[in-house]
This record gives sequence, C-alpha cells and structure tokens, in this order.
Amino acid sequence: MTIVKKILPYLLAVLASFVAAGIFISLMGFDVFKAYQTILFTSFRTPNGFIQTLLKFIPLVLLAFAFTIPLTAGKFNIGGEGQMMAGGIGAAAMGIMFADLPAILLLPLVIIGGVIAGAIWGFIPAWLLYKFNINEILTTVLFNFIAFFLIDLVATGPWRDPGAGHPTTIAIGKGGWLPLLVNNPPLHAGIILAVLVAIGVYIYTSRTTGGYELIATGANPRAAGVFGIKVKRMFVLSLVLAGGVAGLAGAFEVAGPQHRLIEGMQSNFLQLGLIIGLISRGNNGAVPFVAFLIAVLEVGASAMQRTMMIPVEMVFIVQALILLFVLLSDVVRRK
Amino acid sequence: MMEDITILELKNVRKVFGQIVALDSVSFTLKRGEIHGLLGGNGAGKTTLMNILYGLYRKDEGEILLRDKTVSIQGPRDAINQGIGMVHQHFLQIGSFTVLENIVLGTDVRNKYTMKMDQEAEKVLELCKRFGLNVKLNEIMSTLTVGARQKVEILKALYRGVDILILDEPTTNLTPQEVDALFESLRVMVNDGLSIVFITHKLREVLSVCDRITVLREGKNITTLDRKDASEEVFVRAMVGEKMNIENSIYFSTDKREKYQRDPSESAKFKLENVSLVSSDGISRLTDINLEVFSGEIVGVAGVAGNGQRVLAEVVTGVVPISSGKKFFLGDDISQMTNEDLLGSGFAYIPEDRLSDGFLPKASVAQNLILGQHRVKPYSDGRFINWKTVYAETTKHIQEYNIKTNGPADVGGNLSGGNIQRVMIARAFSMESQMLVAHNPTRGLDIPSMDFVYQKMLARCGAGYSTLLISEDLDELIRISDRIAVIYRGQILGILKREEFDKYAIGRLMSGIQLENQPVEENAVS
Repeated sequence: MTIVKKILPYLLAVLASFVAAGIFISLMGFDVFKAYQTILFTSFRTPNGFIQTLLKFIPLVLLAFAFTIPLTAGKFNIGGEGQMMAGGIGAAAMGIMFADLPAILLLPLVIIGGVIAGAIWGFIPAWLLYKFNINEILTTVLFNFIAFFLIDLVATGPWRDPGAGHPTTIAIGKGGWLPLLVNNPPLHAGIILAVLVAIGVYIYTSRTTGGYELIATGANPRAAGVFGIKVKRMFVLSLVLAGGVAGLAGAFEVAGPQHRLIEGMQSNFLQLGLIIGLISRGNNGAVPFVAFLIAVLEVGASAMQRTMMIPVEMVFIVQALILLFVLLSDVVRRK
Repeated sequence: MMEDITILELKNVRKVFGQIVALDSVSFTLKRGEIHGLLGGNGAGKTTLMNILYGLYRKDEGEILLRDKTVSIQGPRDAINQGIGMVHQHFLQIGSFTVLENIVLGTDVRNKYTMKMDQEAEKVLELCKRFGLNVKLNEIMSTLTVGARQKVEILKALYRGVDILILDEPTTNLTPQEVDALFESLRVMVNDGLSIVFITHKLREVLSVCDRITVLREGKNITTLDRKDASEEVFVRAMVGEKMNIENSIYFSTDKREKYQRDPSESAKFKLENVSLVSSDGISRLTDINLEVFSGEIVGVAGVAGNGQRVLAEVVTGVVPISSGKKFFLGDDISQMTNEDLLGSGFAYIPEDRLSDGFLPKASVAQNLILGQHRVKPYSDGRFINWKTVYAETTKHIQEYNIKTNGPADVGGNLSGGNIQRVMIARAFSMESQMLVAHNPTRGLDIPSMDFVYQKMLARCGAGYSTLLISEDLDELIRISDRIAVIYRGQILGILKREEFDKYAIGRLMSGIQLENQPVEENAVS
C-alpha cells in the first residue's frame, strides 16, 4: 500500500508528461500513438533493442550516481562529464601503454586506471572545497572543460589514430577489451559491474555507518559536525566516490563498445544523469530504475527518428516534462 | 490602579496551524490599569493569542473588541496605531544605532533633513523619568545589557503612545535585580493608566506582579482569577491539568534537595584547568576557566545569554579545540580529544540551538536519534548500522519520551519544536553517559516534560554520573543544581554551593559584580 502510494505520483507525472508531449507531437502532424509505441516498445520488441537499452543504461546509471552520491552529503557535482572523460583518458592510457599485457592483467588495469583518473578529477574540486571553501558547483563545471581539452590533446597527440577523421586514439590492447556476454549484437560485461556498483551504492548509503554519516552531513552539516562527524571529509569522500563512479563509466566506454578513446564519447550523459538524479530525488535506491526508464526513452527516441522522422529532441522534451511534473507533484502533495 | 473599565476583549478566538489547533475558542479581557498575567506552559497558546492581537497572525474565528468596538487588526503598524504595543522575547533592534535612533525609528521625525532630534529626545527623556526606565539615549545599542535593551523596547512602544502593552516572557535573561526594577516600572505604568499583558510560564512572577491572571493550557482557557482570590495551588493545577502528579514533581517542589555529599578522597570526574579559548579572529571567548564536576553531581552554569555559555559547552564536549589549558576526564588528559572521540566514550550533549546544532530536518526520527552514537553498539558494529535495533529502540523512545510523530521513519522536519527538543533529550539519555552537557535542555517543553527531564537528571546523580547544566533559567538551576558557576564575558566569576544559593547573589555575579571576598580584577574582555 505504502509503496503504491509512493510510486503513484511518479506514474501520474510520467503519464501527464506523455499527454502534454503528445499534444505537441500531434500538433506537428505526427501519429501520436505510433510515436509512443515506438518510444516505449523498441527496447522490448527485439533483442537488439534490449541490448541497446542496456548499453545506454550503463553510463546513465553511473553518471546519475556521480550526481546523487555527493547530493546525499549536500554537495552538487556537476562534473560527472569531466570525471567520465578523465576516466576514459586513464583507461585508454593504460590500455595503450601496456597493450601487450594479457587480459588477466590488462583488463583490471584499464578499469582501475579509469576509476582512479575519475576519482582524481573529483578530488581536485573536493580539495579546493576542503582547503579554500571554493564552491564545488563552479569547480566541477570548470573541470569539465579542462577534461574536454585534455581529450583533444590525447586524441590528436602521440596516440592519435591517423586513419580516423575525428579526434580518436589508436585502439587499446586486446587484453583490455571487456569480454562480451552476448556476441551479436554485442553486449559487454560492464553491465554486470554497473549493476554491482548500483547495489554497492545502495548498501553503502542505507546500511553502513559511513553512508549514515553522508546522509547526516547532507541533512544538516552543522549538527553533524557538532556530533562528531567530520563533514569536510565527508564532502571530499563523496566527490571522490562520485569521480570514481563516473571514471568507471569512462573506462567502460573505452574498454567496451569502442576499444579506443573518441572525442565526444561523453554524449549528453551529464544532463541525463542530472535529470535521473533529480527525478529520483537523490534516492540512491531509485536511481537504477529511473536510469533504465530514461535508457528506454533514449533508445526509443532514436528509433522514432529513424522510422517516423520525428526529431529526437521530442524525447528530450518528454524527459524534461517528467522532471517538471515530478517536482510539481511535490508541491501538490504539500498543499 | 485597576479600574472596572474593560478596554480590550478577545472573544472565542480560534487559530489552527495545519492540523494543530493552537487556540480553541479562547476569550480574554483586559481592564484599564491592570497587569494581567497570561500564564501557561510552552505550547499553551499564550504567544499565539497575543500575536493575533498584535496583528502578526490572522485569527480563524472570533472577535476582538477594543474600547467596546469591533476592530480588525491588519498588522503591527495597525496595532500600534490603535494603541497596542508588544515587546517580543527577541528584540527587534539595530545594534549599531543609538538608543534614541532605535526608539524613533519608523516614526516621523520633525527635522527630517537635519535629523536633529532634540524634541524627540526630550519626549523620550520625559518618558524615562516618568516610568523609571533609566537608559542613556546616546549609547550604541549593541553595548547595552539585555535589561537595558528591554527598557529601550518598552520605550519604543510608549513613545508611540500605546496604552496597551504586551510583554512576551519579559524576564527571560534578566538578572533578579533587573526583574525587580522591571516590575517597579510596570507598576508605575499601570498607575498611569496603561494596561499590561504579561506573558510568562513562571508562576512566582505572575503572583508577585499581576492583578489578574488567565491560565491557558493546550490552547484552551482554563481559568481567570484575581490574584488575591487564589492560592498558588489553584494555578499549578490549572497550568498542568489533572494528569500530572504534582506531589512528586520537582518543578513545583518546595522542599530543598539534600545537600550534595562528596567523598573527600575522590577526585573530580571532569575538570577544566585554566582553559582559555581565543577565536580565529583573535577575540578571547573563554578566559582561564577552572571547573570541576564530581561524580553524581549536577553543576549548573548561570549567566545572561551570550556570555560564553555556548563555547563553554562546545569546549567541554570537544566540538571546538581549546587554545590553552587542560581538560581531564576520569583522570585522563583529554585536551586533544575531539567530539568524535568523546561522544563515543561517555559524553552526551544536548546543544542549545536544537535546529542548527542538533537536528537533521531532512533525516528520519530514527536517524536523528542515533546521531553521534551511530558508531557504537548496539546501534552499529562500527561499519554497518543495525537498523532493526535502531528502529526497535526508536519506537521505545518515542513512547517513553512522549514524542509526537508517526513513527521512526517519519521525517524529522515534520516535528514541532517541543518534539524536536524531546528527540534531543531522548538521544542524550538513551545511552549511559558518564558526563552529560545539557544546554537549555528544557527550552520549549511543557511543564510535565520539564519535570520528566529533571527526574532523568536526578536519576543520573543516583547512578554516579555527572551533569553540566548550562541554563538561562535561574529557577531551573537553583531547583536541581548542586553547585552553580556564574559565567560573565567568558570568565567564571564565582561558584556557589547549594547552601549558598541566593538569587540576588547570583544576579550580581551575572551582571559582572564579583563577590566581596574575591580579588577584584580588571576584565580581560571589554
């Protein structure tokens, strides 16, 4: 009963946003029902659609956690993109420098390289916050730009793939490739790790003392400090964890589908991660489910564009409307 | 003198906040020339009723008759125009302005462009003289004592020509001497034809100064009586209702507690030795504090708010590190230990400012109850929190401490102030602690709950645990402390034993006057 009560406003919000967006679609002269059929069922009609959805799900869920983990401690990490790119660079560096190592060594090296590089990208703003009280929103955003140019440097520098027309590095060593769970269409093993991370984050925040301290810090840093929680350390910890998780997403992009670092691989995962985090209202247990829903919409959107020529931006509008309606349902409930 | 002319009448006033009925058909009459006490515990609705009269809240139902005419009061300015003034518990003053500037602020000044206020000053001086409110008009507000600032607040209302004056808990933070002076001034005012509503939860004060007394409890009128017609017991019963056992209460107990017997061979459980604290901007906050707390003892700390009580509490609990001196606990030097270490090893803390220092509004009641104890058994094994135990314990505490909430998972922000305070109390008493630091622990609690806290504190004494009780309520300190230390500008000016307790002696120390037999020093802080 209580679960139903909790989920009901969300379902209503989703429904309302579909109705609202449907009005636009029909005004544009398209068939609303066919469009929604495509959006909702592409993921489930074919194995290919489902695997595409899972592949989208991996970076989305990780980037959403990169936002919600610091949010639990009351900090806003808008740098998931930069941390992901840094992770990609770290993973690619490992994969290229030690290209000849066997998989049993190289694969962990690539993944850990990505996690550590992402964590460092989260640590620098965290340290600036710890030491000089510099607002983390500002620094994490700015570090996105730094990471962006760093990718340019790497992908056009010594590791440049001369055969590619777009800034891209050469491929990483075969040992660094994530094994495939399904061969055709390819689904890499990153999905298992992503699910493990989701379970881990949930257990950490809801069951451990460390997670409790994160929540207490986010709820009232002053009171948490008075009762012996080192809040500034919790800020740093949360941003480093977030960086590590985002870095993992970067490593997966390199070691999974592409096997190389490509400029632009960060796509719009940052914004979608923020949307997922906000729709979940910072609840780490809800993040995987919301991330999956958004992945379904994303995959459905490209299919809709292919088959019906409806611009993919329409789905962006739907996502934004879901967020708006969820936030609105908060206000309505309070009344 | 009280005349038999009703100047103000509130009829069947009702006010609902959300689902809570704050006032349920309350009526109140004020006669010309009387001091009318509005008595009741916290949450009784006294301040709400007067805020409605002063135009700060809208009433949901009811009628206000002012000089026999129905009026609707739109806001404080409107109230003042109709002759109603109110002095709040927290003064609304500008610290960098002079006394005179604060008084005339918001009124028309005759010489608008030159701001020469000779005429205004003359009028204020006349009021000062007439009512015995001695303040120097050219002094800067922030340099004044609380008592003087209150006089300014009263002058502000008188200057605007009000004839009904509402005082909300006016004796909070006054020394006993200042209380006496205030009561004298009030007497002069009513003799001059003013009418005064005196809001308080302190029974002895209304008995000594009021002509008539109205008692409110849980938003309802209980009774209105003439001072001379009623005994103390009638009011006590009216304030607390039928449920509370008055005979066994500490709040109303008249017989003195036994003198505290200390084993002479025993050393102090907790000790501050020449402790000083200089804040990061170079201001001395605590100077040379020496304080011992023995086992089974309650040491009270008295003082006017803002004289270093908060930093003292934070120094004892390790929230802020000390600049010099030493701290000892059970014989060990704990000068370097932080609150993280101390809270896990026998310290409990009830902070003064519950909302900012003690409570997690976005977290659940259960999460709030384990704050600070979330690393120790039985709540946690150090790495994982045992939520099953936490929830079971929380359910017990909600019962025992009478916390009004939907359950352990309820969001803390849904709780009212008094219930938040009960969570603070439950948290501090739920674990056995050798040393409790309680700062204004009963603020916002009704009388039965206050009594409950006192019982709990005294039970600690029996078990040999120590308590440092920092409070702005001198009656509370005298009621349950074994010794009282008086703090003034970050220094302890004197420590009195139970047999030496005397309101006026403590009051002198609170205003910075040292005992005769102690060497008089220049204050380090000025």
